[in-house]
Amino acid sequence: MAANALKQGFVRCHDCGLLISTAEHSASCPRCHSELHARRPQSLQRCAAFLASSFFLYIPANIFPIMTVNQFGAGDPHTIAGGIVELFDSGMIPIGLLVLVASILVPTSKLVGIALLLLCAHFRWQVNARRWTTLYRIIAFVGRWSMLDIFMISILVDLVNFSGVQIIAGPAATAFAAVVILTMFAAENFDPRLLWDHQKAYE
Amino acid sequence: MIYLCRYSPHLIDFCNYRITTQHPDNITKAMNCTNYDACPECDLLLNNSSPRLGEKAYCPRCGLLLSHPKKQSVERTFALSIAGFILFFPSLLLPMVGITVLGSANTGILLSGVIALFKESMWPVAIVVFLASILFPLVHLSLSLLISGHLYFNRPNRFLVHWMHWMQHLDEWVMLEVYMLGIIVACVKLMAIAPLQFGWGLYAFIALLIITTQLTAGLDKKLFWHHIALLQKGHNHGR
Ligand SMILES: [Zn+2]
Repeated sequence: MAANALKQGFVRCHDCGLLISTAEHSASCPRCHSELHARRPQSLQRCAAFLASSFFLYIPANIFPIMTVNQFGAGDPHTIAGGIVELFDSGMIPIGLLVLVASILVPTSKLVGIALLLLCAHFRWQVNARRWTTLYRIIAFVGRWSMLDIFMISILVDLVNFSGVQIIAGPAATAFAAVVILTMFAAENFDPRLLWDHQKAYE
Repeated sequence: MIYLCRYSPHLIDFCNYRITTQHPDNITKAMNCTNYDACPECDLLLNNSSPRLGEKAYCPRCGLLLSHPKKQSVERTFALSIAGFILFFPSLLLPMVGITVLGSANTGILLSGVIALFKESMWPVAIVVFLASILFPLVHLSLSLLISGHLYFNRPNRFLVHWMHWMQHLDEWVMLEVYMLGIIVACVKLMAIAPLQFGWGLYAFIALLIITTQLTAGLDKKLFWHHIALLQKGHNHGR
């Protein structure tokens, strides 16, 4: 059947995509001079480290208020979930669903998804690798969209700044931004080729 | 054994115009590297084939879109980066959204959200917003302008390779479209409490967003790397 390029003696440059024969024993790519690696170096370790730190930050991101609405002296703190409930209550269902997907469903499923990918690659599960690669692609694609909440807060904080009414960003905003960025790093460090390397069906 | 791509395995023939006419011997030099290619996501060994313009080549094993050559990628990128560069400044400096509450008005520009967060001493978030919505898009546009400009005028430059690296790394961190969605959600929330005014900054921002989307979609990285390699080789031989 088909064979991995690495088993046939080729390494692909990660940056420019040039295929280089391992027989040449070169440490860097002849075209773009970046270091050559058959797979991303320490892919699973780095990915797991980023994932673990985002797991820890995920808790304060959901417990603490992400923003506080100050109305004539009285503060009204909102958590991520609280803001969505408020959107639903005021009848803005489509926007509420959008924020629900971007700031709760996507980060949560991303954490679980990356953990599953790590387990699959580490324990060399015999799976349908094509399906798992699709999972990886979805995770890599949706990650950035969770920044929606952070951008929205920066706009609200800027615009709603009157003598009577103010919106102030809360500590959860920092934690949530960190979760989004750390999971993006985790996905970037995961090498999907590890899913294929030990599949007996493709050997 | 080697799997064939779905398309007829032409040899590397995607350096179709400008450079082939100038240095005909460069093609053979580039070819001696390898006639094979590997899928970046499943590492399947493939014949280095190039689909015709407008066609798509997928990896037969994992289904990844391997290449989708576009017409005049260099020229398009060059023109779009100039347009994006020009549009960047109005979208940064002109007011985007204005709000009036109890007679007092407030307008926001792209940068004022960052400043407001800084004032509340939320500087980590402020930095993230600044990078993803202002600095990285600007650097990304400048890099694509520099690269496509050098390729368009056939100017070799030893920094081309570095610029390409940086541009590829920045790709994921340019979040203009996410910012646009943030504007929409914020506006929907605010519309319930007060009337809003939309300014020219917002329209410039939407135009910038369309241009950067077109830019990333039309940028054929494989072709760019190939052009750069040929330019550098021609340069080294000339010396
Ligand atoms: Zn593939």
